[in-house]
Amino acid sequence: MSRNREAKRAAIVLVSPAMLLLFALNIFPVLYAVYISLHHWSLASPNPPRFAGLFNYQELWYDGRFSNSLGVSATFIALAVLIELALGFGLAFLFNRKLRGLETLRKLSLLPVMAMPLVVGLVWFYMLNQNFGVTNWVLSLFGIGAQPFLTDGTLAMLSVVLADVWQWTPFVMLVIFAALQSLPEYVFEAARMDGLTEREIFRRITLPLLRPAILVVLVIRAIDAFRMIELVFMMTKGGPGGSTEVLPWYIYTTGFLSLDLGYAAAMAVVMIVLVTLGAQVFVRKIADPGAA
Amino acid sequence: MASMDTSTARLAPKAARAPGSLGTGDILRYALASIFVGFCLFPLYMVLSTSLKAEADIFAFPPAWSFRPIWDNFNDALFVFGGTGVMPFLLNSVIVTAASTAAAVGLGAMVAYGLTRFRIRGGSHLFFFILSTRFAPPVAFVVPLYLMVRQTGLMDTHLALILIYTSMNLSLVVWIIRGFFEAIPVEIEEAAEIDGYSRLQIFFKVALPLVKPGLITTAILSAIMSWNEFLIATVMTQNKAATLPVYLGGFSGSMGLEWGPYMAVGAIAVLPIMIFTLVLQKHLVRGLTFGAVR
Repeated sequence: MSRNREAKRAAIVLVSPAMLLLFALNIFPVLYAVYISLHHWSLASPNPPRFAGLFNYQELWYDGRFSNSLGVSATFIALAVLIELALGFGLAFLFNRKLRGLETLRKLSLLPVMAMPLVVGLVWFYMLNQNFGVTNWVLSLFGIGAQPFLTDGTLAMLSVVLADVWQWTPFVMLVIFAALQSLPEYVFEAARMDGLTEREIFRRITLPLLRPAILVVLVIRAIDAFRMIELVFMMTKGGPGGSTEVLPWYIYTTGFLSLDLGYAAAMAVVMIVLVTLGAQVFVRKIADPGAA
Repeated sequence: MASMDTSTARLAPKAARAPGSLGTGDILRYALASIFVGFCLFPLYMVLSTSLKAEADIFAFPPAWSFRPIWDNFNDALFVFGGTGVMPFLLNSVIVTAASTAAAVGLGAMVAYGLTRFRIRGGSHLFFFILSTRFAPPVAFVVPLYLMVRQTGLMDTHLALILIYTSMNLSLVVWIIRGFFEAIPVEIEEAAEIDGYSRLQIFFKVALPLVKPGLITTAILSAIMSWNEFLIATVMTQNKAATLPVYLGGFSGSMGLEWGPYMAVGAIAVLPIMIFTLVLQKHLVRGLTFGAVR
């Protein structure tokens, strides 16, 4: 009996500090964000916050800048994640060979993954400079004139995507590579004994077995691409003309440059809802022990 | 490994060559892999090389591939650039990173153990709640957190960043360490119980030492996350507790001329992390996918 009591007390001692912290800094802020979003809450105004009902949300509905930022975010996520997945997938197969030196190359390619995103933005900002940037030098080798990478709307978006692709393709490659390495050998032996061609094996066995890993990395990358703000901060500041103004950038400038916290909170609530929907996929996948 | 060869044989159809010799497929493989690695390493090389260049070489076009390296930029970056140099900010980064990492690993290991080894009602819900915090976008939380930090008088303090980073890293720690705890045979702990250890003693003296590799992995990952974090830091700190990314970000927009010291700060921010990345690389997949892929 006392053994049981002791176990209960131990469990509470172990679990509650972290839970308190998560409650204070994770659950409460969500509720607080909803509360703030229901107010006219400006740090620039001398008046105290005033209840506004759904005013901020109505504003969002008619705000062209908000819908633009959603579209820009969607474009950024789609381009970055698709390119990272396509490259990462191909590269995983490329590295999946026992050849001398290939393992070292694979390890070296991982270096961008953990680099400070702000510095990633900084160095690509430098390399994409129209006048002395190395990318324009490379283009000049092919007889192509200097491109305004960061001052043309379409090119600016592609530039930010490029920096993101540079940082995260190795990660996607590594995840799919790890999944490839863990595939059971006997499945392939059986398939070959059944007379399947290599193409059929790839389509009907390798690919389906890789699906969980692909899904996991897809969701992680999509959600992380959605929160990306450092590259935009360093490379474009949302410009030119809002062409790289992703939702996080709009939230940040609304809250901390225009000081309109109520409106920023309304956008934050929308973002939390969108992310929660996306994260469901991941949580369900990971909840299934046979996921990967 | 043999299975891999069969699954990818279509990429290298000339599999029937003599063992040890390189087919054209292999050479192509090396070539593509090298191009990719070159692409991955080049920007890092640019950070380092630019930080060692004199101004004339920085603005040179075509780029100055061979140049006389100078250390002035690092001197400026550390002690001069922006009035104080990066030193005080570096110190803040170290304090915040160390404290939040220790707290996240400590608290995270406690939860992971509590939830794997004790029957707690709703325990699996708690696990998934903790997992879901991994996806919380900092930019959406920064508005309420900003007001909370202001109202508690924690603006521009280490403590504000330490608490927030700890909460941000908990999910990672809990999910990775959980896998390690589950791998310990229960018998070991049962034996300790028979020896008269209390449950908490078992945790600290028996279980924790057994998951040391997991603790190290998650500590390195948490530390890198805290070290790299920019948005929360730039909103919550101005100077007293401002970290390295805040210092770096502060010059963006007005940095037309100061590429050298700026890149030197970048090099200081990135190069130590590169070493840890290589150390970690075996655990990186498991760490970054929360054990969903190993």
